[in-house]
Amino acid sequence: MSWFSRLTNALYARPLDHGLDEEIRDHIERRAADLRAAGLSAADAARQARTAFGNVTQLREQSRDIRLWSALESTIQDLRYAWRGLRGSPVFTLTAVASLALGIGAAVAIFTAADTLLFRPLPYREPERLVMVWETDLTRPEAARSLVSTDNVLDWQARTDAFEDVAVFWDGRSTLHDGDQADELHIRGVTANFFTMIGVQAVRGRTFGGPPSRTSKEAAPEVVISDRLWQAWYDRDPGVVGRTVHLDARPQTIIGVMPAGFSFGDREVDLWLPTTIARSGSARQGRDSHAVARLRAGASLAQAQTQMTTVARALEQLDPAFNHNWTVTLEPLRDAFVHNVKASLLILLGAVGLLLLVACANVANLLVARQSSRSSEMAIRAALGGGRWRLVRQRAIEGLLVAGLAGVAGLLLGRLALDALVAMAPQALTRPAEIAIDWRIVLFTAALAAASSLLFGLMPSMAADRGDLTAALRRAVRGGSEPTDRRRAWLISSEVALAVILLAGAALLGRSFVRLQAVDTGLQPGHVLTFHFRVPSPAEVGLFAQAIARIEALPGVRSVSAANLTPFDASGGETPVLIGARAPALAGAAPMARVRTITPRYFETLGIPVVQGRDFSAADNTRGAPLRFVVNRAFVRAYLGRDDPLATTISPSLARSNPFGEVIGVVGDVKDASRDGRVVPTVYSVYARLPYGQMTLAVRTEQEPMAIAAAVRQTIHDLDPRLPVAELRTMDEIVGQMSARERFSTTLMGGLALSAVLLAAIGVYGVLAYAVSQRTREIAVRLAIGAQPRRIVAMVLGDCARLVVPGLIAGVAGALAGSRALAPLLFDTDAHDPLALAIAPAVLLAVAIAAAGIPAWRAARLDPTRALRLG
Amino acid sequence: MATPKSAKTALDLLVLTVLSRRGGLHGYAIASAIQDLSAEALKVEEGSLYPALHRMEEAGWIAATSVVTENKRRARVYELTRAGTKQLAAETERWSVLTSGVARVLRHA
Repeated sequence: MSWFSRLTNALYARPLDHGLDEEIRDHIERRAADLRAAGLSAADAARQARTAFGNVTQLREQSRDIRLWSALESTIQDLRYAWRGLRGSPVFTLTAVASLALGIGAAVAIFTAADTLLFRPLPYREPERLVMVWETDLTRPEAARSLVSTDNVLDWQARTDAFEDVAVFWDGRSTLHDGDQADELHIRGVTANFFTMIGVQAVRGRTFGGPPSRTSKEAAPEVVISDRLWQAWYDRDPGVVGRTVHLDARPQTIIGVMPAGFSFGDREVDLWLPTTIARSGSARQGRDSHAVARLRAGASLAQAQTQMTTVARALEQLDPAFNHNWTVTLEPLRDAFVHNVKASLLILLGAVGLLLLVACANVANLLVARQSSRSSEMAIRAALGGGRWRLVRQRAIEGLLVAGLAGVAGLLLGRLALDALVAMAPQALTRPAEIAIDWRIVLFTAALAAASSLLFGLMPSMAADRGDLTAALRRAVRGGSEPTDRRRAWLISSEVALAVILLAGAALLGRSFVRLQAVDTGLQPGHVLTFHFRVPSPAEVGLFAQAIARIEALPGVRSVSAANLTPFDASGGETPVLIGARAPALAGAAPMARVRTITPRYFETLGIPVVQGRDFSAADNTRGAPLRFVVNRAFVRAYLGRDDPLATTISPSLARSNPFGEVIGVVGDVKDASRDGRVVPTVYSVYARLPYGQMTLAVRTEQEPMAIAAAVRQTIHDLDPRLPVAELRTMDEIVGQMSARERFSTTLMGGLALSAVLLAAIGVYGVLAYAVSQRTREIAVRLAIGAQPRRIVAMVLGDCARLVVPGLIAGVAGALAGSRALAPLLFDTDAHDPLALAIAPAVLLAVAIAAAGIPAWRAARLDPTRALRLG
Repeated sequence: MATPKSAKTALDLLVLTVLSRRGGLHGYAIASAIQDLSAEALKVEEGSLYPALHRMEEAGWIAATSVVTENKRRARVYELTRAGTKQLAAETERWSVLTSGVARVLRHA
């Protein structure tokens, strides 16, 4: 049509429309008259005539195809048509939308977590120039990322220009008290340059200013609080700045409030106070601080690392006693924040990608099936004048609609999944940043849905293009095989293969997790309640003994003990130990042990066996008693050899003077160092000789430990209302948290694999059910001429095997190739564990056979006479 | 092979044929004629019929005249033009080539 007539049509739309209206009305009236003549009532005839014609508006719009805006108009109309079509086949629609929504939902949840933790730029000034600085003990692989000595930090600053600035911080807990309320908070001491270096300002007041003081040992009594604390304690009172609070009974002034959501690797910190790194004296101090540095502009990480390695070597020579075998490692900030969840997240990211592929294949499969079942209808519509482009577009729009619905459902599902994911995530995952869906994820979902819609809308259309008159006629005559069969077999094979890969991964993680759970921790965690509190001032340490006595008196309590570190809390450093009757070892090569301070009955309370000698007695736990120690078996193995431990005296370096004390007992090992089963040589010291201001109390109970939680809280409150009870939980929970990351990865991987298997089962079922329905006549003939139903079942199952076996083989190959990636997550399990790799295809095969069972059974029960008459 | 283009002209062919046998028909009559002549095997989609009529009118194969019906309504009556007659001959030729092709496929495939 010429542009001129298009234009006139567009401009003079009304007269032509009018003519068409008349024409249509005429058409309907004539049909109605015919129907009346055939004996229908006037009303029925009119209604039927209108219905037969279809939507009058629709026709008008189709006739306007020749107009300028036809594309838009007919798209809307296609949308309506597709909507009606989907509503007309709810099983198809539900299955397709649910499959895709499942995939999208899982993807949204995992991608949100991964995006937040791995990809989003960190909210600091030029975050790519920020690095964490660790000290590394070359002789101990587990000490590759150790805290740093502030004395060494001062030397780095003097000897290198790789850093523009270095800030130091340490983490702790303190009791905050403002006259009305008391609470134990996570606090962080930071050098004054910390906030300016990372480039974050307070929203109210100010942060600590000026360069780090190198002369004063005492920092100003100022604190900066978090937005959360500001909200919880002060209800966002703008006058909070300048107020005085008591931190562990010391008065401090609030000078600033940090912005909402601010964190630096640990979201739980609610209060910052200034710290200084002045030279401590002649001897270097222990490694107890974090160091973060800003690289000089233009300096690369590698350059800075090279410089720091050189500096570390120089410091090793300067102070061999302290720095022998120690070097320095720089780590990009993000890696430092997420290093222990990065591997899990990347694996889950891959897994969810695979699940999404399975879901896409499933929907494509359903659409192909749906469209091949409508191919005769399509061919006849095409023969009677349906535009080719129009028919293709209609299918594309149907795909788009499915994907759009799935996108919305998936987003909602993703929100729920994300909440669940965050709720069950290990702290390491939720600590670095708040994980929440934002507009980028919504966009991502939309893009995902659009991409899949194009894929699904157009791929079956390619098939439909061939669904021309000839082929349709031929099929109608012969009932031959579908041109789409091979395509669907491919889709199913891929689905099965992907599901096998996911399931093999889940099986590996599950096996590893079971092995991890089977590891004996060395104590009996059942029926133990733990919590900690700190006394307001060092003079009041007697409160611990009183607390123990009062709790012991509670009904249902068997024994109570206190320790400076909760079992499995490996935060305590190791200290050199001198062993009596032996020449002092070379500096830097002295035996190292972790020292835990405990009160009597600790071993009994936690169920740690005393294998030799005895526990501390109440008499040992007095200041005047002779110095005595209990050691664990690892200590004996590592340092005492065949000597009789009970005849040995040792001197752990604890205070300024460290007299030797006798070893009075040997206890079993507690695997609290790491899950690989290494046990740190440990020395237990009695509380009276080494008091701490904060202790963890362990209570062994007769019944469910949480049942006495309220009574314990009340007891401590009655003792002194200034004592906040913190981290009240069971030992079982603490042990569970040790493997939280593994549990998380395993559960999630299991969920993804299960979904994939389910989708594959749906796919297999769909294809076979369709194949059986297509072969109804053939099967009926076979049954009629005497085939055993058993043979028919075997035939369908054979089809099933042909469908899934290539997928199983491909899946096992893929699992073999991909399981390497899981290796860092596996505990005591080979990445090519034969059992896990065998289980996955076996399960898939079983599920496929079960899915094939329904159509097979239906085929075998076919009533030949009925089927043939209908066919 | 039958491409969608020729499939689309199947309707054109049917309309042109009907008009060549009995000229001066309105839309409903054309649809009914196709249905009757095919012994109800082919049901014309009205949604395609009118666009096809207008398209062929544009192409000059058929001509329409407005008449006033017995119940005082304007209707359009279609007739074959000279160009339409030529087109019909060409389409018929194409169609018989196509159908004999199809028939061969059906016999031998």
